Amino acid sequence: MSKKAKTPRPDGTLGIVIGAGMMGALLLAGLLIPWLGKYDPDEISSDQLLSPSSTHYFGTDMLGRDVFTRVFDAVFVDIGTAFAGVLIPLTVGTIVGTLLGISRNRRVNSFIGSLIDGINAFPFLIFVIALVAFLGAGLSSIILALSLVNWARYARIARTRAVVVNQQGYVEAARTLGYKPSRILFRHIIPNVSSETRAYALSDFTIVIIAVAALSFLGLGVNPPQAEWGAMIKDGANIITLAWWNSVFPGLAICWAGISVAVFSEGLTKRIGEGNQR
Amino acid sequence: MTSDVKLLDVNNVAIGIERRKRETLVLVREANFDVNYGEMVGIVGESGSGKTMICRSIIGTLERRGAAVIGGEVLFEGLDLRTINEAKWKTLRGKVIGYVPQSALAGPNPVLTIEKQLAEALSQVEGTGSMKNRSKELLDLVKIRRVDTVMKQYPYQLSGGMRQRVMIACALASKPKLLIADEPTTGLDVTVQSQIMELLREIRRDLGTAIILISHDLALVDEVCDKIVVMHAGATVEVGPTSSMSKPRHPYTVALNSSRIDVAKPGGELITIKGNPPSVGRWNPGCRFAERCDYVQQDCLVGDHPALSGKKGEHQSACLHADKIGKI
Amino acid sequence: MSKRDVLMEVENVSVTFGSGANAVEAVKNCSLTLHEGEPIGIVGESGSGKSTLARVMAGLQPPSAGQIRFRGDNVFKGNKSFQSGNRNQVQMVFQDPYGSLNPQLTGLSAVAEAVRIHSKVGKDEAEQKALELLERMGIGKLDALKKPRQLSGGQRQRVSVARALSASPTVLLADEPTSAIDQSAQAQLLKLFLGLLNDGLSIVLVSHDLGVIRYLTKRVYVMKDGVFVESGDTETVFNDPQEDYTKMLLASIPGELGKAAKAKLKR
Repeated sequence: MSKKAKTPRPDGTLGIVIGAGMMGALLLAGLLIPWLGKYDPDEISSDQLLSPSSTHYFGTDMLGRDVFTRVFDAVFVDIGTAFAGVLIPLTVGTIVGTLLGISRNRRVNSFIGSLIDGINAFPFLIFVIALVAFLGAGLSSIILALSLVNWARYARIARTRAVVVNQQGYVEAARTLGYKPSRILFRHIIPNVSSETRAYALSDFTIVIIAVAALSFLGLGVNPPQAEWGAMIKDGANIITLAWWNSVFPGLAICWAGISVAVFSEGLTKRIGEGNQR
Repeated sequence: MTSDVKLLDVNNVAIGIERRKRETLVLVREANFDVNYGEMVGIVGESGSGKTMICRSIIGTLERRGAAVIGGEVLFEGLDLRTINEAKWKTLRGKVIGYVPQSALAGPNPVLTIEKQLAEALSQVEGTGSMKNRSKELLDLVKIRRVDTVMKQYPYQLSGGMRQRVMIACALASKPKLLIADEPTTGLDVTVQSQIMELLREIRRDLGTAIILISHDLALVDEVCDKIVVMHAGATVEVGPTSSMSKPRHPYTVALNSSRIDVAKPGGELITIKGNPPSVGRWNPGCRFAERCDYVQQDCLVGDHPALSGKKGEHQSACLHADKIGKI
Repeated sequence: MSKRDVLMEVENVSVTFGSGANAVEAVKNCSLTLHEGEPIGIVGESGSGKSTLARVMAGLQPPSAGQIRFRGDNVFKGNKSFQSGNRNQVQMVFQDPYGSLNPQLTGLSAVAEAVRIHSKVGKDEAEQKALELLERMGIGKLDALKKPRQLSGGQRQRVSVARALSASPTVLLADEPTSAIDQSAQAQLLKLFLGLLNDGLSIVLVSHDLGVIRYLTKRVYVMKDGVFVESGDTETVFNDPQEDYTKMLLASIPGELGKAAKAKLKR
């Protein structure tokens, strides 16, 4: 005779599987559909603004191009840009932040520290938009602008963490054991700092996917005719009441991408949390 | 004297985590001890022995961790704690049963001043006089001087020992009948530890509160408690009045006693217990101490874990060969 | 009594943190000598400065004043320590078992890394040596492959000791090695230290628990607020403490020793 214990908290495996699955499916579709599909993404035709049907699953746009093919043609463009826009700041920010955190040079510390705080004080998207406008439209500008702004956010996280890690016993032990500073930095400090920045990168990824699309929506992204979600939404914005499919489907694709990363990162957090409970 | 209702009676208690599609993970299998009114009982064991789980079953925080009492009974003044609901728990927890957590892990809320902290604890209880005066009385009770200064401070401004005293003060706000102190001095200096033990003794003497002291340190428990309960791998393996525990009757207690630093000769032989405490849930058949036991016999390795001999109140041992141990 | 080799000397060392109005003197003009074969203890409460002193001796913190010498040579040249190739001679075990191991490395990796750097051997040989060292510390092969979070406090401490020993040091500084672990794990660790002492390692034990100091050391320095208030042979200080502070520390030892000291106090 006993009280039933509450079911233990679910672990994160489901989230990881679903998130990875969703993203995997998207990437696979992005690879296969433009290649194997009936239509060419840039193929103009006279079948303009047809609503979704069995021949054009997502309908056609103003220039008669098949929206379905275009949506998936944009996958690697959008996700690839977002990926670069996260990877570069992650790497640069982690290294700079870590070096700052362990440095004892007060002048360098306060100078770069102020730089980081200054950049972080600006609202992210506005700063990026301004930079892209300055650098000129285009995907490479977007990646550059993202990098120039975002590295500071990673650097701040890395710096705080590096200060803590630097005081931990295993780092002091490494020093006592006479390990070379480069070894201590790359094998002991950075791996334990990057665990935090990598976690941040996952959540940042979702935001950057949206940011890339937003920039293109504003006309600062790809050059036509390259398919890209933000640009597609913009093209469809004026005629949204007449031909909703032009904006809605790319929009759904963005949601799908963002949700898959969010679900994955939630699941991962839960899994790591479980491990820490022992 | 009629057969008194004991303050706390833990009878053959088993605690486990029920998991879907897998066997229940048993954390505690046969916990057996009792606490009389005004008694100071020490529960000694290594990590994983189940001592903290028992303590959670007494204050009702097992559910939150997905665990539950799956066997036996925990009787508080005759009331079976397994049968009560959360509403009833709220009348016990923090009122009649107090709890002081491990010093290193928890502590006073870092964002509240000590005054607010105490006020929160006191608001649950009726009393005479202003909140401020009642708070000062509590700080007095735990021997904190400079009461006016401390009231206005935040936990980070206090030393580890002072913080523990504040936690004890909060637990005493409701003048509980039973106070559970879970490793209250682990991580604190021995000088602070000594003062806190003295404090607990005074509280017991002046307020008549029964105290359960959970510790891994046999020397400490030996010094301050009336009764000692020894836990190993989820079971109570020995229990008895402190005076008779100086002649232990279970090999585990013998080993713990021999590994005490306060009775070892400087630079001399220090007997340690072989191996490591068994991992939770991965228990072998037979006596769960058998693998690490110096006196192990064939019959120790089979069957069920030995039950405690004798009756509550006597010196009980869960060793099949307890009589032989006594002779050593 | 034969004159033993002097291994380390702490000469009028002071350590000050911060500056101006915020300056805190953690260590004030302390001196001690470590002879070969004579383990010493530094005992004091939290905040006494004992950990700071230990870190200075380990070369991790430069003193604000005074000298540290290892076998006659100054340890510090400016802010850098152990520059003459003797860095491996003085090693340290830290208090917090939860922070002393890299959470991402298994016990084996951590120790093998140290072995490889000090013995300049290849990866496989280093792992072999590391396993042997861990075995001596009571950490079997299965446990050696676990990450720190899967090990108990006592096991982590023993891995830390194995790592420190990979450098084949002459001196081992142990800063409160037993404070955060179970009584039985404490006993195991102390027994280990005793074995190391018998093997010729010189240990400096820093602790707040005189019971532990008494078990392992021959000389003790009692530290309070950055100053040595009493020092002498461990047995002598135990049986005949001069300072009130020392008497108070003795009376706080849990168990029999404390009881005996308290009784003496009352007389």
